[in-house]
Amino acid sequence: MANKIPSFLTRELPSAPLPARRKVSRWGRGTLRASFIDKGLKHVAGVVNTGYSQWEAAAKEGPLQRLDARVKVFFFLFFIVIISLKKEVYAEVAISAFIFLLAAISRINLFRFYKRALFFGFIFGFLVALPASLSSITGGEIAVPLITFPKAYDFWIYHIPANIAITKEGLHVVTLLTLRVFNSISLSFLVFSTTLFPELIKALKALKVPDIFLMMLTLSYKYILIFARTIGEIHLAKKSRLIGEESSREGRNWIADRIAFIFRKTRLKCEDVFKAMVGRGYSGEIRLYGPGRLTVADRVSAVLFFIAGLLFLFI
Amino acid sequence: MESIIKAEDVSYRYYGRIPAILDATFEIRKGERFALIGANGSGKSTLLQIMGGLIHPTSGKVFFSGEELSEEALRNKEFTKSFRRRLGYVFQDSEVQLFCPTVLDEMLYGPMQMGLSETAALERAGEIMEMLNIENLRDRPSYMLSGGEKKRVAIGSVLTVNPEVLLFDEPTNGLDPRTQCFLMELLVALSNAGKTIVIATHDLSLVDELHARVAVLSEAHRIEKTGSAEDILSDEELLLKVNLIHEHIHFHGQTAHSHLHSHYFFHKH
Repeated sequence: MANKIPSFLTRELPSAPLPARRKVSRWGRGTLRASFIDKGLKHVAGVVNTGYSQWEAAAKEGPLQRLDARVKVFFFLFFIVIISLKKEVYAEVAISAFIFLLAAISRINLFRFYKRALFFGFIFGFLVALPASLSSITGGEIAVPLITFPKAYDFWIYHIPANIAITKEGLHVVTLLTLRVFNSISLSFLVFSTTLFPELIKALKALKVPDIFLMMLTLSYKYILIFARTIGEIHLAKKSRLIGEESSREGRNWIADRIAFIFRKTRLKCEDVFKAMVGRGYSGEIRLYGPGRLTVADRVSAVLFFIAGLLFLFI
Repeated sequence: MESIIKAEDVSYRYYGRIPAILDATFEIRKGERFALIGANGSGKSTLLQIMGGLIHPTSGKVFFSGEELSEEALRNKEFTKSFRRRLGYVFQDSEVQLFCPTVLDEMLYGPMQMGLSETAALERAGEIMEMLNIENLRDRPSYMLSGGEKKRVAIGSVLTVNPEVLLFDEPTNGLDPRTQCFLMELLVALSNAGKTIVIATHDLSLVDELHARVAVLSEAHRIEKTGSAEDILSDEELLLKVNLIHEHIHFHGQTAHSHLHSHYFFHKH
């Protein structure tokens, strides 16, 4: 082996002195900037972190965490129906306060919880419902006039009035829809954050969700985390071999290659998992182990949630 | 000898909580062979990644050639360029490391980034492929290689840059005995060529054959002891404590017999 060592490997490198610790600003010249690809990879790899945070929050000692997952799933479905039925803004605000109270006593990270809930509530609630505030969609008393045309227009099935404005009724609709979406999202986050994933699956089984669907859900969740970890490793491996900066074209080529790599790996993993399942007796039918018995505390909590739901329904 | 890597009270916690490495302090000198050994999950790979500037310690400092490997320093283009040229990292999973269309492209990636002419880069790639016996694979994509071939290509892709320091994460893991033997000889040859070799492993025979200086990581994620391979490998109590050897029960005829065991100690392979 020693004879085969190429001569360039034995040549002493002119130990390129590392530059003295010169302060560089985050965005200044001479600074390595993370490309959008780097940032994207980091975010995907961050899924593992999210999975860990969920597990950590769900494993905490809190009143909601202690409850049987079936009670929480029942509470979730019941309240989703109530949130959708309520037409008054104050009732939705009261439900928001109730969810906040439950989140607070469950000792989950409220900042992270509300950051995500508000973000999705804003995108899927407020932005989607915003056009409904306009007089062309929701008629009524004008609150804020926006545009005035010389006359009204009729286009295909649409009627565009001469005055386009934000109406009071429209504002009510937008507020109500935003609150409904926000409450539904925060409720689902609350249940997910306080329930361990396997418990959630068992609760869904108790609700007669088919086992094959639950198996797919379990495998998907597990492999999302596995692949997020692989993506994290790919990112580090790239970082270790990158001398200097690369052009965005090189970056795009690299990402295309890595997508193909992940695709290949997914296919191979899928084959391996199937073989492992067959090896362990799988013959087309899946039977999962069901949940245990409900405790007295679970039953009492279920009744309390039911009463709270009825109160919200009739206020 | 001049210090090339130095760690001072380095700790790292995953997600800011789960400890991976705690208060590690050690120094690696230029041209040295250094091994981090420990049971699975003791923090070897994490410590290696910290030394490779891939992740940054939660607390403590790491120095490369006297310069701190901080996040800020690695944001400096010139610093990173110089650092990555001088230090090569071979991952445990070779597959994640290979991302070029063919084996030849893998070999050329580093030299071309360094700004070498195509002729010089091709010359280097050819020499490395010859050394690693992978010339016949030059036009193959990495997904059409076996585990051992992937490992050779991954090592080759790092060697074409000619780094002074080489970090190997579990280099012999999952390799057949012939490839393991090849790798061992390669590490010795590279060390003789003046490279600093750092390995993270639980393969005690590799540590012994390399005659490396060893840092033993405990399952409490701390450096339990640092010493020569001979010192460490003769300390059975320590190896038992850090779970690198175990009590083994087997039969002599009809009589069950138990003693401390590791493949290295009893079979020397």
